[in-house]
Amino acid sequence: MTDVLTVGAVAYSPAVVGVWEGMKDYFADSDAPFDFVLYSNYGRLVQALRANHVDIAWNTNLAYVRAMLQTDGGCRALAMRDIDTVYSTVFVAAAGSGRTGPEGVAGRRLALGSADSAHAAILPLHYLEQEGVDLDTVTVIRFNSDLGKHGDTGRSEIDALEAVLAGEADVAAIGISTWEKIGEGDFLPGAVEKVWQTPVYSHCAFTVLDTSPPERTAAWTRHLMAMDPADPEQRRVMTLEGVKDHWAEPALDGYRTLFAAVQKQGIDPTW
Amino acid sequence: MILDLIRQMDTLAAGERCTVPIVDDSQLELVRRWSEATGNTLVPQSVPIPGASTSSLRTATVIRGRLRDPATVLGVDRMPGTRLWIYTNFNCNLACDYCCVGSGPRVDPREIGAERIVPIVRDAAAWGVQELYLTGGEPFLLPYLGAMVVECAEYLPVVILTNGMLFRGAGLKQLRAMPRDRVAMQISIDSPTSLIHDRHRGLGSWQRAIAGIAIARAEGFRVRVAATVGGDDGVDAVELQKFFDGLSIDREDQIIRPVAREGASSEGVLLSTETLIPEVTVTAEGVYWHPVAATDPDALVSSQIEPISEALDMVRALFQEQWHNSASQVSAFTCA
Repeated sequence: MTDVLTVGAVAYSPAVVGVWEGMKDYFADSDAPFDFVLYSNYGRLVQALRANHVDIAWNTNLAYVRAMLQTDGGCRALAMRDIDTVYSTVFVAAAGSGRTGPEGVAGRRLALGSADSAHAAILPLHYLEQEGVDLDTVTVIRFNSDLGKHGDTGRSEIDALEAVLAGEADVAAIGISTWEKIGEGDFLPGAVEKVWQTPVYSHCAFTVLDTSPPERTAAWTRHLMAMDPADPEQRRVMTLEGVKDHWAEPALDGYRTLFAAVQKQGIDPTW
Repeated sequence: MILDLIRQMDTLAAGERCTVPIVDDSQLELVRRWSEATGNTLVPQSVPIPGASTSSLRTATVIRGRLRDPATVLGVDRMPGTRLWIYTNFNCNLACDYCCVGSGPRVDPREIGAERIVPIVRDAAAWGVQELYLTGGEPFLLPYLGAMVVECAEYLPVVILTNGMLFRGAGLKQLRAMPRDRVAMQISIDSPTSLIHDRHRGLGSWQRAIAGIAIARAEGFRVRVAATVGGDDGVDAVELQKFFDGLSIDREDQIIRPVAREGASSEGVLLSTETLIPEVTVTAEGVYWHPVAATDPDALVSSQIEPISEALDMVRALFQEQWHNSASQVSAFTCA
């Protein structure tokens, strides 16, 4: 058992158990079997990675950034989902609002998701500011409904969307995953429209400490990358985890904006 | 409604389900498209039962994640509709105390008749059935069995479930009429010695069944053996397997199954249509869910047999519903 890797993840939904049981089954006959531990929040997961309680942490982008900041850059990303390499935030308004582009958010009531959600709170403000929007003119309405989970549940984004539908906010910032969950508006016919979409950035990544010998995780990463959506059982697990088609090499450049946003917004690197 | 669905879905484990109210087919279609796009599974709407009242309240039920493919889990050869079972008759020269349909010498034969069976088999083959299982009762009590099997075998490979005791005189003549390349015998043997077999099936039945195996093989038939094992009999499955090996029966032709609590048996494995993977079964009374429950009113799918394609369609649709409702609980009960 000592050679079995331990992967840490956050139990943001009961479905997470099924994901990791399925992944564990897939790895069981490989050169890199693993067991998993679920934490209630990403703060604990990053702590566990630093303490070597887990070999690999399945981090959100904010958890990756915090792990890097807490270790003076002493972490390494192994892989991410295909969707993590091209993640973005979508600003959504009520259908017929006529608002377009980042300026369409200026001077408006902006509904944001949980404060620790990079895609639904931190990066939306950062990108708006980069586009020249004066944030002082924006009335921010926060829905901190899944703090600790870094927005993984999607709950705070649904809250933000409902605020728009109820006329309590003009625009909501939601992750591309939630935007796609509502079929880019098709599943809410005649109700919402896209105002603006940020450039792409990176989201989740499997993260290890630099002190972990690469050979310890190489076989695990190879087997992860070999997951085949043509296999029904593998596809079931991949879909449950949000992988569209394949696991991908980490796109590290995609974390630059979040590093900058965390610094600019003074977000606590240790919480 | 979709936002409600997303909220509920995010609280579910894989395989769990949630329900949302819908007002019309367009909303059901919306839920279907949403489920498809997000990797979840819409539970099929209930198969309408003729004559049953329908509720005006409508809901859509969605399962978190994708279900396992039943063909992968069960095997393609176990998918409903792959096999067709026909109870040719219910009378039997034996009166086994655990018979799942309560057959015996004085039981009403309830024959279906060759004139109905052959067209049923023809239509079933056209529908996509791959194998035919003829059972009873004792099929070799039927004077027309040989000729009927010749006709059935033109459409499907046939397995005849028999006690193997009637391969002499007229029975042997019927056996000899059947095509060897399309017909196999499945003969019941419950124990490696006569003691337990005869206790349940009647004195001398074991010896004659063993002789029946030899005759069928000598006549060039593939022979499968099936054992029905009761919990209190102390029959050791490994010993039984060794015994069958000694008879040179291939392992794939050895079936060992528990007694089912059906028919004449008040003991055994309790089965229900909710958890039993269907194997479409025709009797004179109608189409049943599974051969082990072919006299169980709860397992009656339809009292209308022809056209058999309709019954096969219905069972396939009901199985889809069953799989969505209880994929983790269903199991096969092996009769062949």
